[in-house]
Amino acid sequence: MINTEILVVGGGPAGLCAAAEAAEHGAKVMLVDDKDVLGGQLIKQTHMFFGSHLQYAGTRGIDIAKILIENAKKAGVEFAPGATITGIYDDGVVTALNGGKFIKIKPEKIIVATGAYENMLAFPNSDLPGVYGAGAVQTLMNVNGVAPGNRVLMVGAGNIGLIVAYQLLQAGIDVAAVIEVTDKIGGYYVHANKIRRMGVPILTRHTVSRVWGKTSVEGAAVVEVDKNFKPVPGSERNYAVDTICLAVGLTPLTELLWNAGCEMRYVPALGGHVAWHDENSRTSLEKIYVCGDASGIEEASSAMIEGKIAGLNAANALARKTKLTQKTYDERMKDYRAQLGQLRRGPFGEKVRMGTSVLAGEAAALDEPIESLPKDYRSFPKGARVIIECEQNIPCNPCETICPHNAIKVGKDIVNYPTLDPEKCTACALCLTRCPGLSLFVVNREYSPTETEISIPYEMIPLPKKGDAVDALDREGKFVCKGKITRVLTGKKFNRTSIVSIAVEHKYGDVVRHFRASAAAKPEEKIITPADIPDDMDTIICVCEDVTRRQIEEAIDRDRAQSVDEIKRLLRCGMGPCQGKTCQRLIMQILAKKLGRNVAEFSPQTYRGPMKPAPMGVLAKAHDEEKN
Amino acid sequence: MKKKTDVVIIGGGCIGAATAYELAKAGLKDVVLVERDTLSCGATGRCAGGARQQWSEPANVRLAKASIEMFKRFEDEMGRDIGLVNGGYLLCAHTPEEAEHFKKNVKMQRENGVDVRIVDPKEIREITPCINTDGMILGAYCPDDLHVDPFLAVQGWAENAIRLGVDVELHTEVTGFKRKGNRVSAVITNRGDIECKTVVNAAGPWSQDVGRMLGIELGTYPERHQICVTEPVKRMLWPLVVDFYVSIYFRQSAHGSFVFGHSDPNEKPSYNIRGTWRFLEEISKKLTTLMPSLKDICIVRQWAGLYDMSPDAQPILGKVSEDAENFLVAIGYSGHGFMLAPMSGLLMAELIVYGEARTQPIDALSIKRFAGGRKHKEHNVV
Repeated sequence: MINTEILVVGGGPAGLCAAAEAAEHGAKVMLVDDKDVLGGQLIKQTHMFFGSHLQYAGTRGIDIAKILIENAKKAGVEFAPGATITGIYDDGVVTALNGGKFIKIKPEKIIVATGAYENMLAFPNSDLPGVYGAGAVQTLMNVNGVAPGNRVLMVGAGNIGLIVAYQLLQAGIDVAAVIEVTDKIGGYYVHANKIRRMGVPILTRHTVSRVWGKTSVEGAAVVEVDKNFKPVPGSERNYAVDTICLAVGLTPLTELLWNAGCEMRYVPALGGHVAWHDENSRTSLEKIYVCGDASGIEEASSAMIEGKIAGLNAANALARKTKLTQKTYDERMKDYRAQLGQLRRGPFGEKVRMGTSVLAGEAAALDEPIESLPKDYRSFPKGARVIIECEQNIPCNPCETICPHNAIKVGKDIVNYPTLDPEKCTACALCLTRCPGLSLFVVNREYSPTETEISIPYEMIPLPKKGDAVDALDREGKFVCKGKITRVLTGKKFNRTSIVSIAVEHKYGDVVRHFRASAAAKPEEKIITPADIPDDMDTIICVCEDVTRRQIEEAIDRDRAQSVDEIKRLLRCGMGPCQGKTCQRLIMQILAKKLGRNVAEFSPQTYRGPMKPAPMGVLAKAHDEEKN
Repeated sequence: MKKKTDVVIIGGGCIGAATAYELAKAGLKDVVLVERDTLSCGATGRCAGGARQQWSEPANVRLAKASIEMFKRFEDEMGRDIGLVNGGYLLCAHTPEEAEHFKKNVKMQRENGVDVRIVDPKEIREITPCINTDGMILGAYCPDDLHVDPFLAVQGWAENAIRLGVDVELHTEVTGFKRKGNRVSAVITNRGDIECKTVVNAAGPWSQDVGRMLGIELGTYPERHQICVTEPVKRMLWPLVVDFYVSIYFRQSAHGSFVFGHSDPNEKPSYNIRGTWRFLEEISKKLTTLMPSLKDICIVRQWAGLYDMSPDAQPILGKVSEDAENFLVAIGYSGHGFMLAPMSGLLMAELIVYGEARTQPIDALSIKRFAGGRKHKEHNVV
């Protein structure tokens, strides 16, 4: 039995920050993660972060992971990577599988920072190899260096869909389109703009209707939907793709919290069922705290602060007196709350503000008004300066932080639009390398008597060479005119972003925002839908146990099943190794639709230990050791 | 929901569902089955699904033998596949005393018409090639025993009962009774009262609570038993194996997963159904000792259920009190209710329709047996 004061489950941004915070105040902290490498999702995130310098904005996720691991190590956190928690039991023991051993940990407090898992969609052949979650694609590409395919259809235009589409392009993989079932792009426009100007269409009110292929995906049909999400007849369009990447949202990973007996609430704005917790991150069980995506889906920057709040409070609640004084506690809580408040400002914080207030049983507080976008932000008559094409109130200010001339101002309220003082701007372009949205450009009206030069933040390889003749593209990736590469800047202080400058005729100075080396894109070939695609009723919903939509609908119609548990008993769905992570949400949706009820009325199946399959030989060995 | 009916059955587990079906089949269709939650959500849905005839008490043997015949006819009669594995039951003995018991039981069981025989360790290995027979003296093997999926069986009874006219009311909790003289006149539920001529307490581990609503002490109590299941693997085991000495039972389901559990002698009466890590370790040790080749197979889920224990580990059937003449029970199955459910359902139906159990005598299972303090405890319980 391993004794520790605080056990942190999950080594992502929330868990690492929670562990470091608690250890910093003198608590004995152990951090476990099921992966061998700590950092959680950060290790896949090659893009720069939003937020403020307090959450390492402008730094790439992979680099933030290193910083956070280092911080936790310095604070004295004991790491146990490669250890999968299998249960939190009533006697306070937390069990884990660790390198062929079944270990038991007895902590005084547990901080659950298990993150989230990806939502799945079910459509005919959705179980074909080649249909991936966006997270899996990121892992393949950015962790393992494996290309998931050659041509991808991205489903979902939230931040994850947009970012992963961009990363695919960076890896040299073709993205046929990004489709989004709702009528608007959910992610940051700056992320959308990055892929748009590379020619990737983003189709709102579209969804994937079916895919096909002999042994893996060879093609997909995309259909337009009306405002009730019903397919528009005759709108089906085929794509020759070998990969479908699903980025249709995340669900908090709460199985340990269910298993431990925490009070759970269904809060759609937070991504599904979450453990009720107070503003100190404590759940209904005195010893369990929750933070990060496990407590509600949000950005990694918020997860870090939530982690600090959980770590601070867990340390503060220990029976033993630690170094933590009331004064430090109060100061830090005030600071962390203020930071969270800042990150949750503006239109992108609305969902979380709503979710947290639902959880607290309060009305959502009104957001303070935010300044509006300056009208003439994109054009100016002469000279060279930065153009800011940041179109939304995103909590983010690295441009302000990096500018050596104090020419960019965001202000204390980091959801404000950055404004430029053209008098101070020297067009040094340093800010271009720190904007996570790559939405800053330098435009020089006086490059030559006939030409304007546009400097573009560029994260692709290979880099063009000075003097190359290229096709200049507009914000939609459409051909505008011919252009010439005038400069290629790259360097260590540029944070792995290069600056590529291109000269075009004056009249295109406000239009050109990208370029491509080769000439015309190839036309879309005509794809014929094969005849042998299974009916949607035969779509596999539970992949572990091969249960189809038809079987589930029959269980509801014929066998009168009215709950996830009843369907599970009849069909075994959710009884496989994934314990319902893939199918549960889909089953709740089918139940709600068929019975004319709200998804909120259904509970997921009962979560049972061991949370991960546990080999009997390993458990038996632990029994022998227990006896000795 | 009906306001008035002939029979109210309390409990949507195997006993309640089988009784409802048999009543309707016998022609008594004005029946309401009330279930507090959903079908099979209590003990039935948590049990291992084995059905054996190898008992130490003749009454249990007779009930079980008839039940097994009914399980074999189930699919034809009900039109539902219940995942039946006709693999027999193998009981293993480790001590000379146990071996003597087995021999005595087998003799009695054979006298009652059960096809069961004593097997030596070599035969045990033939029946179950992967088993480690170290320390085993002999076994008792009945190829006629079987195991099935309890959820599907309850679904079969319930849907056929409904087809014949029975009302099954889920999410309907009994909160009390109305009396008229020495009879129950109505069952009070969270969804209203149901007037009735007969009440059947088939509430399993909650049977004592239902009895107390009428001021009757039934002597039954709930006891937690833990169980778990592995990932599915290719079939390697046909019989359900019970080892009383080690205290374990295990089977490989139609689906391929191993389902196994044990009894904890330290368990106290309670409604606690939370699992423990100690169980996982202990049961894995036991199973991998008996079946070493399973050491790399993973447990994917653990859970616990409640036995409805009676003082002699045998069921209590029929009328229980002169003060409540029309209040019948089918309770106290002590962990083997599911395997006795088919015949119990029929006997309860006969008791209600004809005023007596016709297929088999049930006097030995009357609550009166406890009055004289005489107990023939069923020993073959795991």
